Amino acid sequence: MADVNRSLGTRLKNESSIWRIGALPGVVIIGLVIAARLTGVLQWLEWRALDQGLRLRPAEPVDERILIVGINEADIRRIGTYPIPDRDLAALLKTLQTYQPAAIGLDIVRDLPVQPGHKALVQALRDKRVIAIEKLPDDKSGIGINPPPTLPAEQVGFVDALFDTDGILRRSLLGASDLKGDWHSSLSLRLAEAFLLTKNLSLENGIHDPEAMRFGSTELIRFQPNFGSYVRADAGGSQVLLNFRSGRNPFRIVSLQDIQLGQVNPKWIRDRIVLIGMTAPSTKDVVSSSAIVSDNPALIYGVEIQAHAISQIVSATLDQRPLLNVWSDGWEYVWIIAWGILGISLGRFIRAPLWILLGLTIACITLIGISYGLLLLGWWIPVAPALLVLVLNSAGLAAFYRYDQDLRSRLQDRQRVIDYTFNTIHNGPLQTLATLLRQVQSQDLPSSQMLSELQQLNQELRSVYDSVRRDALMQGDQFYLSHDRELNLQEPMHEVLYEVYTNVMERDLPCFKSLKVQLVTFEPMNERRLSVEQKRGLCRFLEEALCNVGKHAVCASRLEVKCIHAKGRNLIQVMDNGRGYDSSLPEGMGTQQARSLTKQLQGVFVREVRSTGGTLCELSWSVRKARFWRF
Amino acid sequence: MSQEISKSTEKILVIDDHESVLNGTVEGLKRQYPTAEIQTAQTAQAASQWVEQGQPDLLVMDLSIPNVSGEIAQTETGIQVLKTLMQIYPTLNIVVQSAHVRSLVRLKPIISNHEGGFTIADKSLPLQEMLKLVDWALKGVNYTPKEMRTRLELKHEWMNVLKLAFHEGLQDRAIAERLNVAERTVRHYWTKIQDALEVYPEEGKNIRIQTELRSRQEGLID
Repeated sequence: MADVNRSLGTRLKNESSIWRIGALPGVVIIGLVIAARLTGVLQWLEWRALDQGLRLRPAEPVDERILIVGINEADIRRIGTYPIPDRDLAALLKTLQTYQPAAIGLDIVRDLPVQPGHKALVQALRDKRVIAIEKLPDDKSGIGINPPPTLPAEQVGFVDALFDTDGILRRSLLGASDLKGDWHSSLSLRLAEAFLLTKNLSLENGIHDPEAMRFGSTELIRFQPNFGSYVRADAGGSQVLLNFRSGRNPFRIVSLQDIQLGQVNPKWIRDRIVLIGMTAPSTKDVVSSSAIVSDNPALIYGVEIQAHAISQIVSATLDQRPLLNVWSDGWEYVWIIAWGILGISLGRFIRAPLWILLGLTIACITLIGISYGLLLLGWWIPVAPALLVLVLNSAGLAAFYRYDQDLRSRLQDRQRVIDYTFNTIHNGPLQTLATLLRQVQSQDLPSSQMLSELQQLNQELRSVYDSVRRDALMQGDQFYLSHDRELNLQEPMHEVLYEVYTNVMERDLPCFKSLKVQLVTFEPMNERRLSVEQKRGLCRFLEEALCNVGKHAVCASRLEVKCIHAKGRNLIQVMDNGRGYDSSLPEGMGTQQARSLTKQLQGVFVREVRSTGGTLCELSWSVRKARFWRF
Repeated sequence: MSQEISKSTEKILVIDDHESVLNGTVEGLKRQYPTAEIQTAQTAQAASQWVEQGQPDLLVMDLSIPNVSGEIAQTETGIQVLKTLMQIYPTLNIVVQSAHVRSLVRLKPIISNHEGGFTIADKSLPLQEMLKLVDWALKGVNYTPKEMRTRLELKHEWMNVLKLAFHEGLQDRAIAERLNVAERTVRHYWTKIQDALEVYPEEGKNIRIQTELRSRQEGLID
């Protein structure tokens, strides 16, 4: 029990030191990804992920509160001139007004009269429910587009659009100051405000965030420079992130002709918001958005974007439809780091590439699933950086750890060889040489004895030479048995081990002479997960065990060797019926190597004097348990 | 089993890359088995093909053969073919001819699992001796020359067979039940045990009793 405790303690200690050193590259990767995110390099990836997520949402029903009157190519062809003359717009407005809409947005530029019919349009615009558009002068050119000149300021909304650095529209500007410092509202805000006023909800300042806008209990979540994955974005004015209405047909769209011919259901208009805009590709009123499901996401009519912006405000207020929200920066980084640590753990604990792949796939699916689920609830969380640290850490570091571990065990082996060589030379040849020198100096050495001493020296040196050479040659797929025998470790293990056995049994070792019977069974073993280095270790183990019989099993008449696989365990066993070995001797290099191999295989190593006499030496390891533990 | 096949239906395949040796062997076989159907092959590939198509009762093969005609004859090639054939046809009777029988040592684990007759003939053996080994192989006997072993070597399972047979006096069927193997397997263990103990068929001698005597002599059983 004490042994178990000690080995557990050592294991924990080892594990923590591996974590300290081994986790370093993982931490560096997490750091690098975070740094990349802070500099904005990852913005485009996260935007893409957001667009993709929004596009994948299930379709929402048509927003019945908004009707788009789109003037299309057919309408333009029928009217025969472009821009659409004031007369036609006036007629359209008049018709629409008869259906009693809650508000009408005229998303068509009318800063200058387009004759004929200007007077009629001025007349039609007198209706307070109509909101027309302007474009604020931009910072660079100082030029904007004026609203229709006769209109009071509260009947004007701007249509300025905000594009991200990848040219895609994801935000909606609700209000902004012009160069003179006067506050303007956007068309979408004005229309939403007018509509919500009919439900007795007026625009107020936020409660949680006093700078945000609020209708009833719904606060419009204000976009900020580092909102979500945005890095130092221009958050001027009052902006919100667009939670596009999903589905192929988010809004009902009718044409100018449909209105003129009375082919619309009056219910579609009464108490609703009507948006008039161009839906003709030739008029170039389009923007790019990749979050909307359509045949060409890069071509969304401006009027549709207005509808999305209005719908988002109205639905959030009346239906509690989620607005896009994000975690604070701190939590975002906690999230990313957590996935990075999970990645490191995967790479650290799973060694079989296939299992890593499986674990990684499960982790990725979980991460993407969580992110998607949260997006459905309106939370936009960093999925791309988390995915990046997870994959880099688990896949990349797994390879690194494996390599590192092999390297360490090889270094340990080398160190053992050096120690062994030093000890052997010190205890053997150097002692012999010292005696020899002394005897030569005192000149009391007969030449026959000198010869035998020299022969012994020769043998001692040769054995050191052999062992060093053997370890120096242990590279690649070979196992060096003797100067003329090298085994290919790619062959089935039981065949290779049998050759080791045959070779050793032919060696001229003292205790082999008394052997009469050898009981041997070599059967195929479970070799999955055995590295070449470990196979080499097993060959060396068997060689050492058999050599020990040859050296120490005095008077042994029977030798039993088993290399088998049974009940999920591999077993290599060497047993003799000699006098047993002297367990008071210090552990040799062979035993140390066996212990190190046992640790690697998470197996059991036994070397003991049998109760019936003789020595038992065996190494067994579970294939099943090892697999479980490694997972 | 091979013993039960009447002599007229024997199908023998002889593999050797030297035409003269091939002819000599075939002549000898024809004299011993006048009605046998004898095929010959000179390369490893042809051999594998013939075994597959002809399903011979006996394979007499030289270890040193080329893979395909024109290539150099190598012992390694023969060993590979032998290994493959033993794995695919575990009951095929085989006579291996070689000048270097020691190179077969590493096939011992596979040979010890082979269920058909298996004899190894040194190439320097006189024809009559060789023909005796052919006869043994056809009878399912195992024979490996002395050079292939240093000491008496048995598998653990064979040892169990000896104990059950001579300590408890069980018959093959009872032994098979106790060891949870087929009776055929027990018979195949006996041929292996007999080879290990160097007990071979001899006129007028009971081979089981010979085996028991030798086992006691070697101290395998009390």
